[in-house]
Amino acid sequence: MSLLSLEAVHTYYGDSHILEGVSLEVDRGEVVALVGRNGVGKTTTLRTILQLTPPSEGQVWLRGEDITGADTHEVADAGVGWIPENRRIFSRLTVEENIHVAVPEGRNIDAARERAYETFPDLREHRHRDAGTLSGGQQQMLAIVRGLVGDNDLLLVDEPSEGLAPLIVSAVADALAATATETTVLLVEQNLPLALDLADRFYVLDDGQVVDSGDTNEVDDDDERFRRYLSA
Amino acid sequence: MSGVLALSPFADSVPLFVDTLGAFFRPRTLFGVLVDGVAKAALYIMIASGLTLIFGLMGVLNFAHGSMTMVGAYLGGLLMVLVVGQETGDPTRLLVFGLGVVVVFAVLAAFGGLLEIGLIRPIYDRPPLSQILLTFGLTLILDELARIVVSFYGLQPISEWQAAMATKPDVLGQQHDLVVASVSGLKLFEIACGILAVVVIWVFLTRTRYGLYVRAGSEDSEMAAALGVDVRRVFTVVFALGTGLGGVAGILLAWDPSWGASVPLAVETLLPAFVVVIIGGLGTFRGTVAAGLLVGLIDATMTWWFQNAIAFTGLPEMTIFLILVIVLVVRPQGLFGVEEVGGH
Repeated sequence: MSLLSLEAVHTYYGDSHILEGVSLEVDRGEVVALVGRNGVGKTTTLRTILQLTPPSEGQVWLRGEDITGADTHEVADAGVGWIPENRRIFSRLTVEENIHVAVPEGRNIDAARERAYETFPDLREHRHRDAGTLSGGQQQMLAIVRGLVGDNDLLLVDEPSEGLAPLIVSAVADALAATATETTVLLVEQNLPLALDLADRFYVLDDGQVVDSGDTNEVDDDDERFRRYLSA
Repeated sequence: MSGVLALSPFADSVPLFVDTLGAFFRPRTLFGVLVDGVAKAALYIMIASGLTLIFGLMGVLNFAHGSMTMVGAYLGGLLMVLVVGQETGDPTRLLVFGLGVVVVFAVLAAFGGLLEIGLIRPIYDRPPLSQILLTFGLTLILDELARIVVSFYGLQPISEWQAAMATKPDVLGQQHDLVVASVSGLKLFEIACGILAVVVIWVFLTRTRYGLYVRAGSEDSEMAAALGVDVRRVFTVVFALGTGLGGVAGILLAWDPSWGASVPLAVETLLPAFVVVIIGGLGTFRGTVAAGLLVGLIDATMTWWFQNAIAFTGLPEMTIFLILVIVLVVRPQGLFGVEEVGGH
C-alpha cells in the first residue's frame, strides 16, 4: 500500500479547471519529484493533498484511508507536513514561536527546537527575532525546519530553492537530503538538476495532467522527456 | 493700532488663550488631564480589544460588538441591583462587581461562541459585505430587544440606568488626593481594570499555546491549518473571548456617569472602538493599546480645552474622528498595522 495516492483527481479554482484527472503514488521512504512548467498545477496538487483546495472529483488516500474532504488540520495531524512556496512564515512571530506552532501538542518542544537549530545553526542566534526581519535565505530555513519539527510521515515541499542564492540553495539541498533519509517527500521544484539529484522517482505534469513518470536514475536533466514539457 | 485690535473678533481671545494655556500647564491640571485620559484609554482599550481580536483572526468586522457591551452593562447592572442594597458595604459591592465580571464574561462568551457557530461560520466564504450586513442586522435586533425588555420593566431605554449606577461603592464616587491633584476613585478603578485587562490579554496572546495559534492564525490562517491548528475552533474561541471582553467593558460602564447602562450605549461604544482599532492597525493588540492611549489622552486634553476655553462640551468627541482622518491619510494601515491582515 502506498503512503499517498491520488486517484483521478480534478480540482478547480472557481471556473478554472486546474487538475484534470491527476493520479500519482508515493511510497513510504521515497522522494518523488513533481516537475513541470509554471502554472501546470504542481502547487495545486500539493494544496489538493492538504485539502486546502479540495478536489471536485477523485480521491486522495493516505495510508489507504480516504482523506478527501477532510479538514486541513486533520490532514496535518495525520502526518502530512508542508513547506510552501514563498515560505509563508509568520512574520510577526519570533523564530522560536514559528517553530513552536509547528510542534504538535504533546510533543517535546525543547527537542523540536534543538532539532531545528541543529539543522540550521544560523537560526539559533536569531531565535528571539521577529521572523519577518530575517533574510530571504533564513526565512526559507525557518520554513523548512517548521516542516521538519512536525515529525511528519510525508513532507510536501514546494519550490524550496526559489529565489535563493547558490550558497543557500546548497544548504537547503543538504537539509532536504538529510530529511529524505527519514521522511517521505513529495517535491515540487523548478530546479531540475536539484530535483533529480534528490528524488528517486519523478512525475511530469502538463496542463493539469500527468504526462510522464519514471525513475530518476533512468534520465538526466537534459533528457528529451523533460525538454518537451519543461522548456518555455 | 490698539483700535484695529479692538475691532478684531480675536482681540479678546489672545489673552484668554494665554491664560488658559498657563492654567493647562499647571501640574495639577496636567495630572488631572493625564488621569482622565488614561481612564478613557482604559475603557476604549477594553471595548476595542475584543473587536481587534475578532478582526485580526477572522477578518470579520463585528458591528454587533457595541451591542455586546450594552448587554453586558445591563446584565452586570441587573446582577448588582439585585444583590446590592443601600446597607451593602464597599468591599461587598466590589466583590459583587467581580462576580458580575465573571458572570457577564461567561454568559456573553457562550453567546458569542454560539453566534459564531450558528451564524458567522456559514458565511465565512461569502464577501465581507455579508458579514457586515449580518452583524449590523444583529445589532439592530439586540438593540430593539433591549429596548423592549427595558421598557417593559419601566426604565427609559435612552437614559442611563441610575439604579445600576447607585450600586457603585462610595470609595469610587469620591475624590482622592493623589500626588498633586484630587482624582476620582472611579477613574483610578477604570485604570486598574484596564491595566488588568491588558495584562490578561497580553499573557493569553504571548504565553499560552492558544494565544500563539491566535497570532499565527491572524497572519495566515491557511498556513496555521496546514501546521495542524484547528483554525475553526480557534475562530469560535476568539469570537467567544472577544464578545465576553466587550461585555466586561459594559459592566464597568454601568458605573460611569459619562456612559451608564442604556440602549444607545451600543452605538456610543462601537464608534470609538472602531476608531481605536483602525488607528492602531486592524487586528493588532499592541496597536489597539497604543491607539487607545493616544485617543484617550487627546480626548481628555480636548475636553479640558473645550470646557475651559470655549465652555462647549460637544466638540471633543469630534477630535477622535479627526485623529482617525489624519491617521488614515498619513498611514492608512494604522500605527502598528501591516498592509493586509485577517482573512481565512
